Amino acid sequence: MKQPHEAWKVEAFVDGELDLAGQLEIEDRLPGDPALRRQVEELRVLREQVREHAEHHAAPAVLRARLEGRLRNADASARVAMPAAVPSTPAVSPQAPAAARPRATAGGASEALQRWFGWRQLATSFGFAAVLAVGVNLALLQAGQDDRLTDAVVASHVRSTLGQHLVDVASSDHHTVKPFLSSKLDFSPPVNALQIPGSVFVGGRVDYLDGRPVAALVYRQGEHVVNSFVWPGPASDSPPRFAVERGYQTAHWVAGGMNHWVISDVNREEFQRIVKAVQENDAVR
Amino acid sequence: MSDGESWARFEMLAMPHLDAAYNLARWLTRNDHDAQDVVQEAMVRAMRYIGGLRSEGARAWLLQIVRHTCYSWLRENRPAEKVLLDDPDAAWRDLPAPSADEPPAIAMRKADRRQINEAIAALPIGYREVLILRELEDLSYNDIARIAEIPVGTVMSRLARARALMRAALAPSARPVLRAVPHSAQGGTS
Repeated sequence: MKQPHEAWKVEAFVDGELDLAGQLEIEDRLPGDPALRRQVEELRVLREQVREHAEHHAAPAVLRARLEGRLRNADASARVAMPAAVPSTPAVSPQAPAAARPRATAGGASEALQRWFGWRQLATSFGFAAVLAVGVNLALLQAGQDDRLTDAVVASHVRSTLGQHLVDVASSDHHTVKPFLSSKLDFSPPVNALQIPGSVFVGGRVDYLDGRPVAALVYRQGEHVVNSFVWPGPASDSPPRFAVERGYQTAHWVAGGMNHWVISDVNREEFQRIVKAVQENDAVR
Repeated sequence: MSDGESWARFEMLAMPHLDAAYNLARWLTRNDHDAQDVVQEAMVRAMRYIGGLRSEGARAWLLQIVRHTCYSWLRENRPAEKVLLDDPDAAWRDLPAPSADEPPAIAMRKADRRQINEAIAALPIGYREVLILRELEDLSYNDIARIAEIPVGTVMSRLARARALMRAALAPSARPVLRAVPHSAQGGTS
């Protein structure tokens, strides 16, 4: 009579999970043990069948887009809204180590984990900044599509100016930037330098807005960064709508079947000149 | 770390495993809509913890959170499955341990895609999850033990049991009706 765990050992052999001595031991026994051979063979057949036929459920695109939008926005807005509270000041650290140990989930912690539910809990995770963040996050959730898009544009702009990732392709030559963006996107964005004094075309990158990849064209106006986002939109044109969002000048319009969003921290007059120049580029495309 | 870095880190470490997360949730809930809810909630939780994650083992780490979220979601929404969930071992403790003395199901036929998927879906959840983690996510026993929070020995016993149940479900004798259908249809025409 074999030990009950003998069968597990054969499974582990088939799974390649035995130590070397264990693997060799089973291999040695295989030639002289037909029952063992049959068992191994069956396990391999089953394993192949399962691996070949079992459904690999990929995350739906809509779920991926929703998560990217929400988590990214929540993260960026927590930062944008509370620049003083959030940076790595020691004030946050008493909570941080506790929050940073998900593995302590056995027992009470796991019960706690199971009770957490929804956005409020995400917000509390930001420790000291939580109270403000809850407000921001809930406001984000309740805001309409436009407001969410505005938030996403601001977050994307801020991220591009703070991080290393201002452009994917750094070139002032639109013959370089346009093919690059076209190859990464399912549309071909208008790409041109702005015909206004002091404007430098820095390059382009692929960003993610409104649940889809978009083109971001980057210009510098003096010390200021200008992000110009483009992606396919409705057929009917609409005139620019200007707004100020958290200190950033924004404008968005539809022209030639493309959504345009422009954002920068330049002053209002200069921003209007920039928007006009972007519109003219679009017209001559 | 500052919150501003959270998303960048999350995007780099956790988002690549979104498909694995969804696959596990989908197999545990057996429903697309529920799986989406669970994964969304799990990712929100994961985002909270992203600061404590080292770059290695990100997939097992994320799947552990997804599994946790699944189980609490199931407790909440499908209390009928509660017995199994509260004490996973109790429900199948009576099942005989797999033994090499079992008559071998030599004639395990070539099962088709639908039969394989139905057989997996029909497994008790504790068996289903180890099988999914092993065969679809190709995780080691150690990783599975960590994700399911059970000892490696239990991973082995559940995996063995899961496979025994699969073999039984896929054995020709398990589906006499399905085998009989083409036969009788033929007989009817002749």
